[in-house]
Amino acid sequence: MMNLLGLLFGMLFGGVLAASNLHEYDTIHAMLRLDEFDVFWFMASAITVALPGLWLLERIGFRTPLGGSLILSRSMPERHHVEGGALFGVGWAIAGTCPAPALVMVSSGAMLGLVAIPGIFLGLHLRERQHADTLHVGDGEHRETVSAGT
Amino acid sequence: MFDVLPDRLPWFIGGPILGFLIVAMLALANQPLGASGAYVQTSSFLRRQGGVAVWRVWYFVGMFIGGLLVTQVLRQGAEIRSGYDALREVFPLWAAIPLVFGGATLLGYGAAVAGGCTSGHGMCGTAQRSPASLAVTVTFMATAIATTFVLRVLTGGAL
Repeated sequence: MMNLLGLLFGMLFGGVLAASNLHEYDTIHAMLRLDEFDVFWFMASAITVALPGLWLLERIGFRTPLGGSLILSRSMPERHHVEGGALFGVGWAIAGTCPAPALVMVSSGAMLGLVAIPGIFLGLHLRERQHADTLHVGDGEHRETVSAGT
Repeated sequence: MFDVLPDRLPWFIGGPILGFLIVAMLALANQPLGASGAYVQTSSFLRRQGGVAVWRVWYFVGMFIGGLLVTQVLRQGAEIRSGYDALREVFPLWAAIPLVFGGATLLGYGAAVAGGCTSGHGMCGTAQRSPASLAVTVTFMATAIATTFVLRVLTGGAL
């Protein structure tokens, strides 16, 4: 069931990114040049929808059908958040893409995406090798690394 | 193929759909969505390590298929090209390849240090009201805009 959901949500996520042209270098570049604010609004509107929804579900103590009681992961900023975020931003500006759009880049026929994807894998891997025991968990998707389920 | 989608979905449609997906995955399975986590799990899966969240590997595959459906089936279908139009106007292919690869490595490394990327921290984390995610997001937005400005200056305004 989880695998099917993963595939379905991946397809929807990738589909929305593709339909919004977020896989194009030019879109991200125009955003970061502050020429065009659509991507900022895109992210802000996603948060505007998700934040109150999650707040409400948390408040009523929602029990999820597949994963027990809903737990939102919240943590306080630490040094590694700022350092990691800073490096990510520099790389994002140079490569003009981030992990999800890089995949869509390739499916759209833009072959430099095939250069970006191995780079992302390499970067993640370099850090993992350095800190195999202390991969930071608790926020975002990396919560998974503690309680790896299927 | 069918050309039924507009050239670009407006942000006020795409953004809210994505927000809904974030809520739906947490509401159904208590799992945050994030792309760099999917890369981490996929790389563990390919190296046959234990404890892999296999559904995130499916999520990884799904993002590719979703992109394929939209760009090749629901739209006209795009031809094979290098991509990176604005970058390629300034740099030839031999220079674009190491730039893209280097930038991608840097962002992958940064995402691992920060514990997430534009989706995991930027949207999913901030929607969960995580102060750490907000800190990551503000930081990467600032350094990305600053880097873009520096690149613009270095290329004499061409990029």
